[in-house]
Amino acid sequence: MRKPIHITAPRPTPEEWAKHFPISKTSEKALQVLVDEFKAMHFNREDETVSSIEPEKRRKRASAA
Amino acid sequence: MPPLPDPIGVFLNIPYDEEFTSLYIAYIVGLCQLGFVPHLASEIPGGDRRLSKIINLIQSCRYSIHDLSRVEMRVAPTAVPRFNMPLELGMTITWQNLHPSHHSWFVWEAEPHRIQISTSDLNGTDANIHNGTPEGVFRELSSAFWRERMPSVPQILTVYGLVESTLDSIFMRNGTRNPYDRSVFMELCRLSSSLTTLFFPPAKPAV
Repeated sequence: MRKPIHITAPRPTPEEWAKHFPISKTSEKALQVLVDEFKAMHFNREDETVSSIEPEKRRKRASAA
Repeated sequence: MPPLPDPIGVFLNIPYDEEFTSLYIAYIVGLCQLGFVPHLASEIPGGDRRLSKIINLIQSCRYSIHDLSRVEMRVAPTAVPRFNMPLELGMTITWQNLHPSHHSWFVWEAEPHRIQISTSDLNGTDANIHNGTPEGVFRELSSAFWRERMPSVPQILTVYGLVESTLDSIFMRNGTRNPYDRSVFMELCRLSSSLTTLFFPPAKPAV
């Protein structure tokens, strides 16, 4: 079994991603709508991450409400 | 010495066929989620010979993934084996032998032991077996590479679901039905990369 390679290079920033994958403004807007919809579907608050929709946390949030 | 490769660049040596589309999207989503920048031969415009483009891409990437799961005979009347993926793997192995610190390559397959039959010279190489499923691709990516903070396989699957479901609208916008077209590849990568901050948002600057 091959040992996993430890990646220490930083993840690209949003600006760097955009440089790697240039697309038209129209496409950019269309994709942004999708991303926003996806976030709205999976997040209750804007600053939360998907990890926070784990069942345990969801249960706690529901009981707190 | 050649210039250093992009430390997060990954050259994807995959079949460009319709049946492979779901795994192709899985590679894009999985690599972006792990903080890698995927590269395909079709992404480079211009009139250079295809082989020159591929060699340049391999040399510019620190890693490459060679998916041999569809190295098989085409159906009649052109019943010839598909040699492109093994050819590109051979070029990569040569490059890595010349500059071991510049490149690492991986062989991926759908079934265990298949490469021992198709390419027996690779005996002794541990292939990553993805079982022909997106989940398998994510599992194998997570076992081939690791970072301090990595999304889980179910988390990557969630993102994959969204990206895969947008393929038709990406096709429509770009006037094509070919998922491997440069414009479609760019949009798939851009969407996948836009979703990388969901699990690990960039650190907020200290106040």
